[in-house]
Amino acid sequence: MKNLLIGLGLAALVFGGNAWGQGMAAQDILAGMDKVRNPGQPFRLTNTLTEYIKGEARNRVVLVVFARENKQTHQFDNVVRYVDPTRDAGKMVLMNGSNMWFYDPSSKASNRISPQQRLMGQASDGDIVTANLSKDYTARLVAEEKLLDADRQNRDCWHLDLKAANEEAVYSRIEFWIEKGTFRPVKGKYYSDSGRLLKIAYYHKFTEQLGGLRPSETIIIDAVDQNLVTTMANSDMRAQAIPDSWFQRDFLPRVKID
Amino acid sequence: MRRAAFIVALLGAAVPAAAQEDNDLSRIPGAIDSAPAAEAPQAAAHGKYFLEDALGLLSYRGSFAVPYPYAVPSRWANRTSFDMLDTWKLASNLSAVFSDRLSATFADGVEFPSDVVRNDPREAYLTWEPLPQTYLEAGRINVRNGVAFGYNPTDFFRARTTVSQSSADPGALRENRLGTVMVRAQRIFDGGTVEFVYAPKLHTPARVGAVADPLDPKFDQTNAADRFMAAYSFELEEFSPQILVYHESGRTKIGFNASHPVSNSIIAYLSWTGGEAPSEIADAIAFGKRTGTLPPSIPVLPPTSSSHAFRNDVSAGAYWTGEDKETVSLEYNYHQTGFSKRDWKNWFAIGADPAAANEMWFIRGYASDQQDPISQHQMFARVDWSEPFQIEHLDVNGFVMTSIEDGSCLGQFAVGYDLSDNWSVGAYFGGSTGGARSEWGSLRDAASATVQVTRYL
Repeated sequence: MKNLLIGLGLAALVFGGNAWGQGMAAQDILAGMDKVRNPGQPFRLTNTLTEYIKGEARNRVVLVVFARENKQTHQFDNVVRYVDPTRDAGKMVLMNGSNMWFYDPSSKASNRISPQQRLMGQASDGDIVTANLSKDYTARLVAEEKLLDADRQNRDCWHLDLKAANEEAVYSRIEFWIEKGTFRPVKGKYYSDSGRLLKIAYYHKFTEQLGGLRPSETIIIDAVDQNLVTTMANSDMRAQAIPDSWFQRDFLPRVKID
Repeated sequence: MRRAAFIVALLGAAVPAAAQEDNDLSRIPGAIDSAPAAEAPQAAAHGKYFLEDALGLLSYRGSFAVPYPYAVPSRWANRTSFDMLDTWKLASNLSAVFSDRLSATFADGVEFPSDVVRNDPREAYLTWEPLPQTYLEAGRINVRNGVAFGYNPTDFFRARTTVSQSSADPGALRENRLGTVMVRAQRIFDGGTVEFVYAPKLHTPARVGAVADPLDPKFDQTNAADRFMAAYSFELEEFSPQILVYHESGRTKIGFNASHPVSNSIIAYLSWTGGEAPSEIADAIAFGKRTGTLPPSIPVLPPTSSSHAFRNDVSAGAYWTGEDKETVSLEYNYHQTGFSKRDWKNWFAIGADPAAANEMWFIRGYASDQQDPISQHQMFARVDWSEPFQIEHLDVNGFVMTSIEDGSCLGQFAVGYDLSDNWSVGAYFGGSTGGARSEWGSLRDAASATVQVTRYL
């Protein structure tokens, strides 16, 4: 009987609900990973998305992302500006909680984006870069697993299952594999409200950025379109003061990126 | 022993799950592994320059309830355009914007160069930021307000701004239009924006349908009256309301816009404006007399009240986005000064007389020039589907505008494909349906097909 209890205890450690991993709660693990991914200060970075269709590099989109943690929600507010290709140059996306807008300089028009539209566009990949997941999701430790990372290196990981904890959460469910000890993200799987797997993200190429080792490239496998894989490379990450007034619709035409 | 085996089995059960996860790696193309380290791209802003060629075929109706007073136009047209939009930083707080489309259109019966060459200087203005988030602008500016898609009643600077293009989509008409010469002041603060606009009268108004000289800046279209506008936008429970006041030629209008996410995938919106105004018929006839298109003694027909009254314009709608990147929009438009059922009956009855047909078509041409709906009630539906059937870089969309009075429709189906970062191709198929005595069925244009190639520079 005693051995059975030990067995169940071990099983709980591997599969369990709010189990502890190396003495840490799942929510703390998630918060640790947030610190690895997100600088603790407002910043801007250049994000280069390269699309691979059926294995061939096809298109490149360059975005400049301005991000700042919202003091109330502790979530990241983003302003995204398209730089390349030419046909999209100057387009802007504002993501301020569920207050989201798209601006096109050709029409001088700002249109509100629904959370569903946020999931669909290229800018949605920004959510994979900047998001304080521990604020919007409740984490459950599923298991401790060995997992191959994007560079086919074995990593000892915590496997977390995240459920949306409030309406601000972009995805209804995320699975995450986080390297034990370093809290580095290794892999994430993002699901829609209907439970459909939308994206699989691999985080790698950790480099020194704004005072921490952070992933400089994310590989995003489109789970809906089997032909599409996108790499998202971060560069030129730098601290930048960003006032509140930036995160509203009418400021979008005024954003400068020089 | 059995218990130990059970524990090992439990622990071992974790391994296949992780191994299954590793299968996802097989979807990462080898090209990514072998790609050289990405160079940090130059993230400086640059302009948008492109060349575009569009070849269109048109078909026309042969018989009309109200005869057309104009000759049958060409059944084909080819337009080649050079289009540009760029911004230059002149100082740390001073910048310049220039946006232009130069087109050459060839068709049967056009005269070179007066009918062929057309330059549309959409925007040319300076922006000065004397204080953070405070902007003073002067020049030709395209100011657009409103949240609706089919008809935007608070888009006060929309009249007479059309630029030659392939798509008949109301969204495209707004994307590509002439700005208005104005002075504009805007202050953006935490949680809101205030804005003031003064657009001076620079010219007497051009006649409806007048063909401008190729390099004419068309101030007689965009700046034929003194106009003022003030707008205040703020955030309130994710409704993003905007209140506007607009004044032109002794008439003042108040406007309101709001939009709100009603669910994860649905955005609802409302746009309203109201103010003292005559009917569209009285307004059109008065404009025709003022510009010399119609004789001063011509009676106001169809018969309508010439008095001003408080009249409303409303657009209310919602759009839904699905998981397959499809968006469906449905919108109701109310234009109180437009034609009622009785006005339509009179228009067809009076217009059957060829002597009155010119005046009847002038009214419709005026409404079209103003980008106003001609009927009081219409529905607008639009479907956008990005990357249908998982075909990357393909977009299809279509819209239908339906007269609630008689059920006739104007519609367009469009398909666009990005061949590369620099090349795009598109096709537009448009047409109208309805009986000869209906809003859209009474028009001469029956159907059109256009193919377009764009080269981004």
